[in-house]
Amino acid sequence: MRRFLDRHWYAYAMVLPVVVVVAVLVLYPLVQGVYFTFTDVNEATIANPVLDRPATYEFTGLRNYLNVLSGDSSYGAFWSTLVRTLIWTFGCVFFHYTIGLGLALLLNRQVRGRSLYRVALVLPWAVPAFISAFAWKYMFNAQYGIVNQVLRAVGLPDPVWLGQSDWALVAVVVVNVWLGVPFMMVALLGGLQSIPGDLYEAAEVDGATPWQRFRDITLPGLRSVSSTVVLLGVIWTFNMFAIVYLVAGPNPNTRILVTYAFERFFSGASRDYAVASTYGVLILSVLLVFASVYRRALREQGEVW
Amino acid sequence: MAEVAYDSASRIFSGNPPVRAVDQLNLDVADGEFLVLVGPSGSGKSTALRMLAGLEDVDEGAIKIGGKDVTNVPPKGRDIAMVFQSYALYPHMTVADNMGFALKLRGVDKGEIKNKVAEAAKMLDLTKYLDRKPKALSGGQRQRVAMGRAIVREPSVFLMDEPLSNLDAKLRVETRANIAALQQRLGTTTIYVTHDQVEAMTMGHRVAVLKDGLLQQCDTPRNLYDRPANAFVAGFMGSPAMNLKTVPLTSEGAKLDGVVVPLSRAALGGASGESLSEVTFGIRPEALGIVPSSEAGMDMTVELVEELGADALVHGAVRIGDSSERFVVRVDGRTPPTLGQNVKVAVRDTSEIHLFHPETGNRLDG
Ligand SMILES: Nc1ncnc2c1ncn2[C@@H]1O[C@H](COP(=O)(O)OP(=O)(O)OP(=O)(O)O)[C@@H](O)[C@H]1O
Ligand SMILES: [Mg+2]
Repeated sequence: MRRFLDRHWYAYAMVLPVVVVVAVLVLYPLVQGVYFTFTDVNEATIANPVLDRPATYEFTGLRNYLNVLSGDSSYGAFWSTLVRTLIWTFGCVFFHYTIGLGLALLLNRQVRGRSLYRVALVLPWAVPAFISAFAWKYMFNAQYGIVNQVLRAVGLPDPVWLGQSDWALVAVVVVNVWLGVPFMMVALLGGLQSIPGDLYEAAEVDGATPWQRFRDITLPGLRSVSSTVVLLGVIWTFNMFAIVYLVAGPNPNTRILVTYAFERFFSGASRDYAVASTYGVLILSVLLVFASVYRRALREQGEVW
Repeated sequence: MAEVAYDSASRIFSGNPPVRAVDQLNLDVADGEFLVLVGPSGSGKSTALRMLAGLEDVDEGAIKIGGKDVTNVPPKGRDIAMVFQSYALYPHMTVADNMGFALKLRGVDKGEIKNKVAEAAKMLDLTKYLDRKPKALSGGQRQRVAMGRAIVREPSVFLMDEPLSNLDAKLRVETRANIAALQQRLGTTTIYVTHDQVEAMTMGHRVAVLKDGLLQQCDTPRNLYDRPANAFVAGFMGSPAMNLKTVPLTSEGAKLDGVVVPLSRAALGGASGESLSEVTFGIRPEALGIVPSSEAGMDMTVELVEELGADALVHGAVRIGDSSERFVVRVDGRTPPTLGQNVKVAVRDTSEIHLFHPETGNRLDG
């Protein structure tokens, strides 16, 4: 041990600041949050230096978890919200990926003005999220929005998009897809460009049709990029608070786990920090489970990760 | 099995000015023949091969495989197999899948694919590696997989674009022999691109020399070596390169540093027909020799001696007219001259002299 330290003290000294910073910035809040889930902390019981009031919350054991996991609607109907979150997440990621891949394939050819298209397609990314959210909110306006004007013009029904129905979820998915496609497109375009052109030529000589070349060269060639961006996409979308809340507000039909945690935290009669933290920990657990299952699945397919 | 023909085929890349990468190529390859396309970098060898594969458009002329015009047929319909310089193995497939891919696309049943792959693998000594991915193979093994992928298809024509250039020297010599033997055995028409003239000489039934997209000569390796059609081919084929010098011409022969080298009637006739006062005189290093100083010859100052074991190459300067020209002489490896020594060099065999037109570079004795 002595010798080990003697030899490696320099490395440890170099790493130490990072360890300290990570501990303070990441671990401490995390531990604090997890601790809250075992208490009944809320606005009334938390320490408040302004009112010169000490903390009065108490340790309550697993009560928060039991309440939340019971699926009771006064605790956010956890299970149905989870199902909605999964629909939202996989719906968004599916369209992100397929549309992003389609655009990447189009842009990966020699088309005139290719760089112009690229810039245009990355643009949604460059606009601050709340601006595009409000623009979309207006476009989805039941009476004046362009979406319904177009639908009326072609004789289709014009639902109240952002009202109390599942149309609201559809609208939010559309907005999020629009926002998320550029990232997928750029990442997949990079992936496409890293596939050597002579593989396509070899496949062509081997007699592959364009569809077979896509299936047997492009998709396998994109696998490592795809697995990474899909994982990132799932995590981001699962926790995508801003768009859901900015476009639809506190609408129970678009409620996903994070937006409910937010509602619980910042609104309601008493700001229930304990339940909000419980949701946070549950979200983290769901994502961890997903990530490890996903990783295992990839590894079984022989992907080094 | 099929014969192949380029019929005034050209490939012109747009640009300013447009690049005629392959210019009016006329070439007939017989059924079962091993034809090597050789030329310096950028001479259009790959382009010519890719035109045949259908990977490159044909802007003028036509391409025929087995007597059928395939100019506008996509690669899929040409019944060719190609070995790429980079091998282009499918990285996510095992060796067996790589080799069986074309058959799978064609809908051949699994058992038959397996048999054919196993057979080819045995031929190429790849049986052990069938379940590996290309990443886990050495360069030489990958090269064999690329060959295997082509063989399994049993195509009517093999196309190979510098398939050995990524191998080390020893393996290259070995693989060279293997490919030639394999082609012999399968009897499949093969077009082989290389920039290495040793490969060209040793492998091809016939060799076509390209330069700037233009076919210079297409003949057997022997004829190419013995009767190069122009100064370019003469200088390109053979290692070390032929000594090519522009020398004054007299009625008896070519004038080199005081000695007049007698020339053949045909060559002299060709030269006088064009009333030339100078010719490009070519002689291979092995047709020169060092002679005792009492005999007639050119005076050469030795500047460099490369010992190759059996032989040695002597580089030296000879005065021709008012300039000093470099010559290379191949001598016995055991008794090479030393640096700075003055030696006498003479033409050993006047029948090995090549004469070319000083401007056009064309051979003078027809
Ligand atoms: N896509 C292209 N666009 C424009 N010019 C091209 C293109 N491909 C090749 N060329 C040009 O065509 C000529 C012939 O190229 P090619 O690749 O056939 O040469 P090569 O004989 O195979 O050379 P190497 O031995 O270096 O492989 C070169 O001058 C090259 O610059
Ligand atoms: Mg080439």
